[in-house]
Amino acid sequence: MKRWGMVIDLKKCTGCQTCTLACKVYHGLGPGVTRCRVVEQEVGGFPAVERLLISLRCMHCNEPECMKACPTGATKKRSDGIITVDQDECMGCRYCALVCPYQARTFLGIEKRYFSGDDNIWESLRYGEHQVGTVEKCDFCHKRIDEGIAKGLEPGKDPAATPLCVVACIGKALYFGDLNDPGSSVSGLIRERKGFTLKQELNTEPSVYYLPRRR
Amino acid sequence: MKQVKTYCNQCYNGPDPFIMNVEDGMVKSIEPDFACEGFSPGQGRVCVKAYGLVQKTYNSNRIKNPLIRTNPKKGKEEDPGFKEISWEEALNMVSDKLKALRRKGLIDGAGYPRLAVSMGEAGAPAAYGGTFPAFLSAWGAVDFTLGGGEGSKCYHSEHLYGELWHRGFIVVSDTPRNKWTLSFGHNTNASAGVSGVMRHAEARERGYKRIQAEPHLSVSAVTSDEWIPLKTKSDAPFMYAMINSILYELNWKRVCDLEFIKKRTNSPYLVGPKGYYLKAAESEKVLVWDAAAGCAKEYDDPSVRDYALAGEYKASRAMEKGPDGEEWTYDEVSCRPSFDLFLEHMKPYTPEWAAKICDLPVATIRKMAREFVESARIGEEIELCGERLPYRPVGISLGKTVNNGPGGYQSCWARTILAMLTGSLEVPGGTVGASQRLNRPHHDRWSSVWPGEDGFFQNFLNPTDTERREKLQKTRSHYTELVPLVGNTGWSPFLSPVPHAWLWYNETPENWPKPTFPEVWIIYRVNPNMSMYYTDLMLETTKKFPYIVAFGYTIDETNWYADIILPESSDLESLQLFRLGPSTHSEAYWEEYGFGLRQPGGEPPYNTMDMTDICTELCSRTGILKEYNDAINAGIISSVRLQGKGYNYLLEPDRKHTRDEIWDRLCRASVRLLTGGKEEHDLEWFKENGYFTVPYPLIRHFLHPVMVKWGLRYEVPYQGRLKVIGEELGRRLEEKGVKWWAEQLSEYEALPKCDDYTKKWDHALGRKGLNPADFPFFLINTRSMHFAWGSNTSLPVLAEMAGYVTGFGGVVINAGIAEAKGIKDGDPIIMESPIKKKKCIAIVREGIRPDTVVLTGQFGNWAMPFAKDLGIPSINELIEPDHELFDAGGSSCDIVKVKIYKE
Repeated sequence: MKRWGMVIDLKKCTGCQTCTLACKVYHGLGPGVTRCRVVEQEVGGFPAVERLLISLRCMHCNEPECMKACPTGATKKRSDGIITVDQDECMGCRYCALVCPYQARTFLGIEKRYFSGDDNIWESLRYGEHQVGTVEKCDFCHKRIDEGIAKGLEPGKDPAATPLCVVACIGKALYFGDLNDPGSSVSGLIRERKGFTLKQELNTEPSVYYLPRRR
Repeated sequence: MKQVKTYCNQCYNGPDPFIMNVEDGMVKSIEPDFACEGFSPGQGRVCVKAYGLVQKTYNSNRIKNPLIRTNPKKGKEEDPGFKEISWEEALNMVSDKLKALRRKGLIDGAGYPRLAVSMGEAGAPAAYGGTFPAFLSAWGAVDFTLGGGEGSKCYHSEHLYGELWHRGFIVVSDTPRNKWTLSFGHNTNASAGVSGVMRHAEARERGYKRIQAEPHLSVSAVTSDEWIPLKTKSDAPFMYAMINSILYELNWKRVCDLEFIKKRTNSPYLVGPKGYYLKAAESEKVLVWDAAAGCAKEYDDPSVRDYALAGEYKASRAMEKGPDGEEWTYDEVSCRPSFDLFLEHMKPYTPEWAAKICDLPVATIRKMAREFVESARIGEEIELCGERLPYRPVGISLGKTVNNGPGGYQSCWARTILAMLTGSLEVPGGTVGASQRLNRPHHDRWSSVWPGEDGFFQNFLNPTDTERREKLQKTRSHYTELVPLVGNTGWSPFLSPVPHAWLWYNETPENWPKPTFPEVWIIYRVNPNMSMYYTDLMLETTKKFPYIVAFGYTIDETNWYADIILPESSDLESLQLFRLGPSTHSEAYWEEYGFGLRQPGGEPPYNTMDMTDICTELCSRTGILKEYNDAINAGIISSVRLQGKGYNYLLEPDRKHTRDEIWDRLCRASVRLLTGGKEEHDLEWFKENGYFTVPYPLIRHFLHPVMVKWGLRYEVPYQGRLKVIGEELGRRLEEKGVKWWAEQLSEYEALPKCDDYTKKWDHALGRKGLNPADFPFFLINTRSMHFAWGSNTSLPVLAEMAGYVTGFGGVVINAGIAEAKGIKDGDPIIMESPIKKKKCIAIVREGIRPDTVVLTGQFGNWAMPFAKDLGIPSINELIEPDHELFDAGGSSCDIVKVKIYKE
């Protein structure tokens, strides 16, 4: 059984937000709604100071707190480890967003627009793809994965079968592949570069790993 | 869903091919184009700006129809009363105006072109303007010097001196092979495009070392191995001290690449008592001293066995040539190799001297000097395209503010000297030029180099003799008369001392003509009233311009003053074939080159018009259609001629051709050009396939092989030519009674002196009767990838992205200083310069020097939709240009001293 996962090389990420916007446009997301983004954290004091860049998204946990908290069963875990939200089943209670340790979910309370009025044809078309009153989050672009596999493509290797943020990253800092396959590139990177997950103490077993900035 | 190929060239690092996902006539989203992964430097990926193109296309705030001004009064407070008109009306109005101009003559009574055209974005508009170059060519004399920020927002000194010394319009480290780079404020992660970000990320993965020296922890410092908090404008002293340390502490005889210094530079050239190259009296060839033979010989004498670098010698039957052909001949004369003079010149610039100016520990400078030479791997070679070349994996890059104004020339010279000492100039791994723009051809570095005078390659500078100067077409920046180095080719006016053209409308210096207003001013993809500094003066000036034609995207602060606005089809709506590689700017050198098509992705949402159609219509209606078609036939578009051996795609001279007809012929001709006439692809083929390329040998990106082939030398360290040029220029200006360029003339030194440039701003305040202590902070500016070039300030989605990155939305201030002033992160504060005070939000961080505050991007908008509500000030509003702070190239920098306090 496959378990799709992502590896993020903190040495290569520049915080440019290309992943953030590529994802937003691809999925037609409105103002303030992101499925992934890079956050910053300044560490130390002048002049011995660093700024850390951390690319965040749904961690597609093996033990997802969100799924446990969801009263309707809208949050599901696929057999390949991808956590999804069925918008038809989501009642918008936001318990999932509350319990997610990674703040990876956004509630679409109202349809916000970048431009006032309702005459923007792109916004009208694309925002209609989402249901107001539901929760939004990264789904590892599972449609790309599923359609790619159906065409005989390999996620993580073939761009058309890989999450868009991974193929869009101009620092080539993101990797995607099967965590259950010890021979996959992601497993190799985690092994060789001592990949780690965030908030390990919570035992959520994320599918998103980070490679340290310094060796 | 249909996938349509196109490219992004919103910044000078492009073009970067990508794919539009199109459904029901709408561009729904954007994806990388991995079909070009193997040869595009961006490997098929595009940066955040390209993803913003979707919003750029469907932006509700766009100008949706041609607009005409109804309020004849112009001013910031005057509503222009723009009224929508048809394209037919708009084109007739503009062409009527142009026809009237042609009837009067192209040049006005004062000698300036009646038509002025301004373009912005560092050359990027060329990839969007369609046949605009053919319109300009058909027109005739045009003044391009009323620019939108050139000279202070670009790498100005690097452009001029880089081209002079090693055809490096942009100078970078050869990152794919580099192991150690010291960057003085080069903001690679914001400015170097997809290829720059990617190459440095891969280099980090590979284990190269990058040190970033600059006053604040920029987005490029964040990913560097070390950040050196260097004081603003102390870059040159730092590098001078590195040179001193290498020469005297580490011992140049032991650690430098003596082979390179002797054979590829003018280090062994003998210099006479008057400071000019010493030449043989008969042949007038420069002399060197052969230490093995104990006599002077001509520099290219193959019998020279050992070029002397140090010492004093006596040469016989020699001569020196000075300004205006003055000559001094000697039977016997004392002389020294230029390297010997250089050694003496560098002696005072010790690390201790520099450390005080830089406000850094002296050990930091010594460490950089040591690491630099230790990383240079002198003696090593690398194989490239089957040839063995020196391998020197060390480089130094310079940011834009380092490059301009006081210390700009000195920084460029010192960086090139450091490359010279290690033999790392124009070899793999080292410091290389990424393109040439003042010299042709733009697309092949090797072809731009051929032998010139004194063993150097040929350069085409503006003349400094009276006779030839008088014949040059006058422009409002007078660049041909003031800046010899900028030359007079297509790119020269855009690199001229642009600020002067604007300043002289307000105050003309002694014995200098006041420029006239252009009778028609066309502005394309530029907003000078925001992007040029001294914003208030810009507004007062442009409102007096008699007739402004703006190609407009949204209302902005310059087209607010326009008489007519033509909304061109934007990036994803129009069609154009453009050159891909091999050598564009920054790090985007390609291993293939060719042509790519930009094409409409869907139905344009508004009543816009393709630039090519606009240009054809304007030329037709103005009566210059034949000249327009002739210009296209002759190769004005991307240097592609429509007729060649075995093919003829010439446009009929007197016929209006459709957009697709013109580009179809250019598609076919370009493929013929690339394949030596063997292949042909039409527009439909390009629409399907996107681009056509052929291999370009990687080795041609390095000048070293061609320098060896021609037996040429780089003119470093001694600036023999500059000395002569400067003296001649000084005489010409003195003849006109011009004394105000004296500070700039002092830069023309054979060996440039270095100074504490950090004090120049305080000195300027003192001259105005102000107390420097009242303005304790250097306000500097930094780029964000989201808004650098591209004309994207009106896009909310890019502001949202920029908001995730430190710096956007306010002014960054040191945490310690903020605490002392009681300022908290997010507090509204006042930032005050000698000419203006602006309200802004404090962004309190540790990663900035206590004496510096920094703004990101250029905002300060008051007319542009969305941007006008951001409330972010612009450094341009706060700067009053000061003549003392201009360099010899006519550029100044984005620095002003300010005070800050709680509101």
